Amino acid sequence: MINTLILQAPAETTRYMIAGYTVIFGVMFLYIVSLIVRSRKLKQELETLKELEQEKK
Amino acid sequence: MEPKPRMLVILDVVTVLLFLIAVGMVFFYAPLEAIMGQVQRVFYFHVANAWVGMLGFMVAAIAGIAYLRKNDRKWDIVGLAAIEISFVFFLTAIISGSIWARGSWGTWWTWDPRLTTAAICELVYAAYFMLRQGIEDPDRRARFGAVYAILSFISVPLTFISIRIFRTIHPVIFGGAAAAGGTFEMSPIMLQTFMFSLLTFSIIFIDLLWHRIRLGKLADETEALRLKTLQ
Amino acid sequence: MESMPKTEDKLGTTESTLGVGQFIRSVTAIIWKDLAAELRSRELLSAMLVFALLVILIFNFALELDAAARSSVTAGVLWVTFAFAGTIGLNRSMAMEKDRGCLDGLLLAPVDRTAIYFGKAIGNLIFMLIVEAIVLPVYSVLYSVNLFNPGLLLVILLGSIGYVAVGTLLSSMAVQTRTRDVLLPVLLFPLIIPVLIAAVKASTGFLQGVDVADIRAWINLLLVYDVIFIAVAFMVFDYIVEE
Repeated sequence: MINTLILQAPAETTRYMIAGYTVIFGVMFLYIVSLIVRSRKLKQELETLKELEQEKK
Repeated sequence: MEPKPRMLVILDVVTVLLFLIAVGMVFFYAPLEAIMGQVQRVFYFHVANAWVGMLGFMVAAIAGIAYLRKNDRKWDIVGLAAIEISFVFFLTAIISGSIWARGSWGTWWTWDPRLTTAAICELVYAAYFMLRQGIEDPDRRARFGAVYAILSFISVPLTFISIRIFRTIHPVIFGGAAAAGGTFEMSPIMLQTFMFSLLTFSIIFIDLLWHRIRLGKLADETEALRLKTLQ
Repeated sequence: MESMPKTEDKLGTTESTLGVGQFIRSVTAIIWKDLAAELRSRELLSAMLVFALLVILIFNFALELDAAARSSVTAGVLWVTFAFAGTIGLNRSMAMEKDRGCLDGLLLAPVDRTAIYFGKAIGNLIFMLIVEAIVLPVYSVLYSVNLFNPGLLLVILLGSIGYVAVGTLLSSMAVQTRTRDVLLPVLLFPLIIPVLIAAVKASTGFLQGVDVADIRAWINLLLVYDVIFIAVAFMVFDYIVEE
C-alpha cells in the first residue's frame, strides 16, 4: 500500500531508448543495403561474364 | 538468379507489415515501465534479435548435418547464409543489450549468461569465417564449415549452462536488478508486445534467409562462370 | 562352403571380434608411433614444457601472487597455462603428421578412420598429462602451494580429456588450411569455455577444501562435456579427413 502512496517517477532514460533503437534499425538497414549492393554487383559481373562468353564463341 | 518468386514477394510484404505493427506496438501500445522508464522498450527488440541469432545458429547446424550427409551444395549456401544473418542479429542484440544495461543499471556490461553467450557466439562466427577464408577447395570449405557449425552449436548450451551455474554461485557486484538479469514485472500488454516481436523477427529471419540464399546461389553461379570463361 | 575356421591371433581374439580388436590395435599402433617419435626427438614435449613454464613466469609478474590472492587465482593460472601450452602440442602433433606425409599414409591404410582420431587424441592427451605432471610440482615449489590434491588431479584429467577431444578434431581441420597454426586457438577457445569454467571452479573448490557436494555440479559438467564431444568426434571425424 505504501508503494501507491509514494509515487516515484520512472527514470528518465529516453535517450538510451533512442540510442538502442538507432542501433537496431541502423544495423538492420545497413545489412539489407549490403544484401542489395552485393546482389547488384554480382548480377553485373554475371552479365559481363556472359558477354565475354558470347564473344569467345 | 531467377526472378523473385511470388511467395517471396508476398513474404516481403508480410514482413514489412508485421515489422511496422511491431514497432507501433513497442512505441505506442506497450506501457511505460515503472522503474526503468523508456529504455525498457529496447528489451522487446533486443530479445527478438537474440532469438533470431539462436535460430540462425540452429539452422546452420542443421544445414551442416544435411551437407555432410547429402553432399549437396545448396546446404552449404544455407549454412553460410544462416550464420551471416545470425552474426548480424547477435551483434545488434549485444549492442542493444549493452545500451539497455547502461540505461537501466548504469553499467555498460553485465556478465549475464545470455549476453556473455551471445558474445561468445560472435567469436565463434568470426572463427567460422576465418576457417572458410583459409580454404581454397569449395568442397572442403563446405565440409569444414559444416563440422565447425555443428561442433560450436553443441558447445553453446554447455557454455550457457556453465556461465549460469557460475553466476548463481557468484552474485554479481553490479546490484540486485542487474544480477537477476533484468527482471521486471511484465504486464499482459507487455507480454503481448514481447511475443509479437518474437513472431515478427522470426518472419524477418525467414525472409532475410531466403534473400541471402538467393544471393549465395547467384555468387555460386557467377563463380562458376568466372572460372569457366577466364580459362 | 562350410563355416570358416575361426582364426586366433596373438591377442587371442577370434575372427568374430576382429573388428574391435583391429580397432584397438590400430589405435595402439598410432599411439606407439607418436610416443616413439617423441622419445627420439623430444621436440613436442620440450616446446610445450618451455612454453608452459614461461607462461607461469609471466603470470608471476603480471599478477600480484601474494599468499592471500594465490589460492583464488592458482586454478586460473594453471588452466590458462594448460590451455595455451595445449595448443602448441595439438598444432605440432598434427603438423608433424601432415608434413611427414603420415596422415596420407594412415588414410590409405585399411584402418578405420576413427582409429586415427583416437590414436592421435590419446597421444595428445598423454603429452598434455606429461606436461601437466611437470608443471604442477614446479608451481607447487615456486609458490608454496600444495597441489597434490586427488580432487585437483581428477579435474585436471577430466578437463584435459575434454580439451584434447575437441582440440584433436579442430587441429585436424586447421592443419589442412592455409592459416594453420594461427587458426587453431581461434577455433578452439570459444568451444572449450565450458571446460575452462568448470575446471577452474572445480580446481579452486578442491584447493580451498570446499565441500565435495558443491563441486559435484562442475565435475558433472566436465563429464557430460567429455562424453558428448567424444561421441560427436566419432560421428564427424570421417568427414574431416575425407578426400
